[in-house]
Amino acid sequence: MSSCWQRQLAQTISKIENMDPQALAEAASLFLDNPSVQIIGITGPPGGGKSTLCSQLIQALAAEHKVAALLVDPSSPYSGGAILGDRIRMQALVSNPNVYIRSLSNRGNTGGVGSSVVSILRAVISRGFDYIIIETVGAGQSEVKIASIADTTLVVSVPNLGDDIQAVKSGILEIADIFVINKADLPGVDSLYIALRESAQKQVDGWTAPLCQTVATQGIGIAELLTEIDKHWQWLQQAGRLLEKRKLAAKFEVLELSRVLLQKHLDRVPADVLARNLNRKDINLLQKLDEVYAELLNLFGEV
Amino acid sequence: MAPIRVLMAKPGLDGHDRGAKVVARALRDAGMEVIYTGLRQSPEQIVQAAIQEDVDIIGLSCLSGAHNSLFPKVVELLKERGAGEIAVFGGGVIPEADIPDLQVAGIEVVFTPGTSLEKIVTFVRERVKKGNE
Repeated sequence: MSSCWQRQLAQTISKIENMDPQALAEAASLFLDNPSVQIIGITGPPGGGKSTLCSQLIQALAAEHKVAALLVDPSSPYSGGAILGDRIRMQALVSNPNVYIRSLSNRGNTGGVGSSVVSILRAVISRGFDYIIIETVGAGQSEVKIASIADTTLVVSVPNLGDDIQAVKSGILEIADIFVINKADLPGVDSLYIALRESAQKQVDGWTAPLCQTVATQGIGIAELLTEIDKHWQWLQQAGRLLEKRKLAAKFEVLELSRVLLQKHLDRVPADVLARNLNRKDINLLQKLDEVYAELLNLFGEV
Repeated sequence: MAPIRVLMAKPGLDGHDRGAKVVARALRDAGMEVIYTGLRQSPEQIVQAAIQEDVDIIGLSCLSGAHNSLFPKVVELLKERGAGEIAVFGGGVIPEADIPDLQVAGIEVVFTPGTSLEKIVTFVRERVKKGNE
């Protein structure tokens, strides 16, 4: 088994994550519009079974295809460190030479994934995978960035997490190309199914997100899910949508890069301003922020 | 500065991972990214994970007594696969008498039960820093 290219890819991903300028420049020169790879996003609440589902999908696909998985977990708001534990569900797959699995911290970024994920995608795509699966952090209702990155977004729900009004609310349920009801052996699955079908399922440009039921721990419903994933892939190509999806991803990449670079600049300035002002004994920032505010306005102009 | 990436692994068949998780949390609280492999890993699985995750260092935890065969195997496979610069440390139920041979085999430090978390965190931080120089 050749570990060489895996080691190189792993090191490239690290450099991109760490915003190494050369790695970013090299990634930027790689193509995102490769039509022979399907990028699948999996999102949903923590504990919903995303990793187990991901593991089942990889296992089924890796028999004949090269599959990469990028698994995102949240970083600590206190230390910035992270426990990346999605891999646990997939370690049995690691001896298959068709499979590459990489854990990523979101490094404090909201929205479900880290900011460099699309640059990483370029590097991964260039290695000739047939499928790339991105698993987001355990997501709440507003972690929707995956829809701007993946070709096919799977939103995982589990029974008994809320009543039918939850299914109507904006956010994560709107981004599903495929709904997956996991842990479908639990009571409450029927009412969840009905709630999603009536309140969340919609037709967008000729694609109606199907509702799949799975019990990922037992491998139930996986073959049917793969059929829907493939149907969506066929539709993307027939409807000429694939290029649009990849352009969305590229746009996301540019916006994220700009945001991250700008944030570094922004983080520096208020700290300087605050440090200067906090040393003054006659200012109580809790009561009088106007001098600091004036200085910020001066630096950045009127809002 | 790039966060340190650590692989916490449990080679062998024991089912006790509270220690590994406690260490993982301490490393996380020190700002590191810790990938935990889960239980019952073979040396091959551990090394493949270490390579795919581009970790700086591997912590092996074993409570079943199989450390003498499994720990050196991890080091050997790392070297075979061109990843010999990834440092390896160990912990768990390991008799003091076994430690010298483990160190000769490439396990740089063995933390026996009762070691302070601060000591482990400091070791990891300084060892990775040294490795990057």
